Amino acid sequence: MTQIDVKQKVLAANMEAAAGLRTGFAASRTLVVNLISSPGSGKTTFLERTIADLNGRLKLGAIEGDIATDRDAERLRRHGIPARQILTGGACHLDARQVRQALEDEKGALSGLDILFIENVGNLICPTSYDLGEDFKVVLLSVTEGDDKPFKYPGIFSKATVAVLTKMDLLPHVDFDLAAVRRQIATLSPTGRLLETSAKTGAGMESWCALLEGEHSKKRGGR
Amino acid sequence: MHETGIAMEIYAISRRTADANGGGRLSAVKVIVGELSAIEPDLLAFAWEAVTAGGADAAARIDVEWRAARQICAGCGEIAERASGTWLRLCPRCGGALRIEGGDELDVRDVTFEDAGESRS
Repeated sequence: MTQIDVKQKVLAANMEAAAGLRTGFAASRTLVVNLISSPGSGKTTFLERTIADLNGRLKLGAIEGDIATDRDAERLRRHGIPARQILTGGACHLDARQVRQALEDEKGALSGLDILFIENVGNLICPTSYDLGEDFKVVLLSVTEGDDKPFKYPGIFSKATVAVLTKMDLLPHVDFDLAAVRRQIATLSPTGRLLETSAKTGAGMESWCALLEGEHSKKRGGR
Repeated sequence: MHETGIAMEIYAISRRTADANGGGRLSAVKVIVGELSAIEPDLLAFAWEAVTAGGADAAARIDVEWRAARQICAGCGEIAERASGTWLRLCPRCGGALRIEGGDELDVRDVTFEDAGESRS
């Protein structure tokens, strides 16, 4: 019987693929944002509004992860940006190899972007573990989902550097303790940003777009 | 629920380690799973059984070592009062802000396998 010390990350293969992506994104100075939330929190609507509000100031593209249908990519293409749908066929998250494949399959349509949005499969658990070569993760939570979610899903709320509350226009109609959610997020991500938004009214979108433009210009200036 | 994919990665790493060292059948693999890793130990053990079933390594055991995340106060150090699965908002001693450390581990710690001679069945 032999015992060997391995001390290896279980997701080492994914991390290696993600590192390769990150090198490529650094060379093209593309800011990459990995958006994670439960199904129905409004990720795609939030992106549609983001595209409209950035109003052609930056060259955008998107990768959409879903179990089935290419509806989300189609929705974003209608806003005039290149979007590639990845169908995971049941898998609950995107991994770095799928993203690499999607970029290859698009043969340049998703290269040379200022910002690449990766909309992950709707799930607050599994996508947390998979690095996609992004600059940062964004977690979205809609006010209709309940005000205990950050503490229930501490993994993603502690790893995301930006938390976005969506559907703030519905706040008067739901029992959602905004102060409690602010406190939970501040506990899990003391240095993170919290944005309170409505894609419907446009509230908070200005701060979000300013954050994106700021991070993008940092990435362009860096090296 | 991505424990099956994780179990497959663990199996690939374990098998590769045994092969690289001229080993035979796997007998045990020890993994470290952090509280924030989004992995449920019981589901991982179940997925491991499913991944290894029917093969030469079907009898291999998976041992999970659980690691809690720690809440740390800049002034008072680690907060021992924190119970697993709950989060303190502020330091119970000085009321200061807390930060979270660790808990995101998902590592293969070590692999135990039969030496080539032992494996003949």
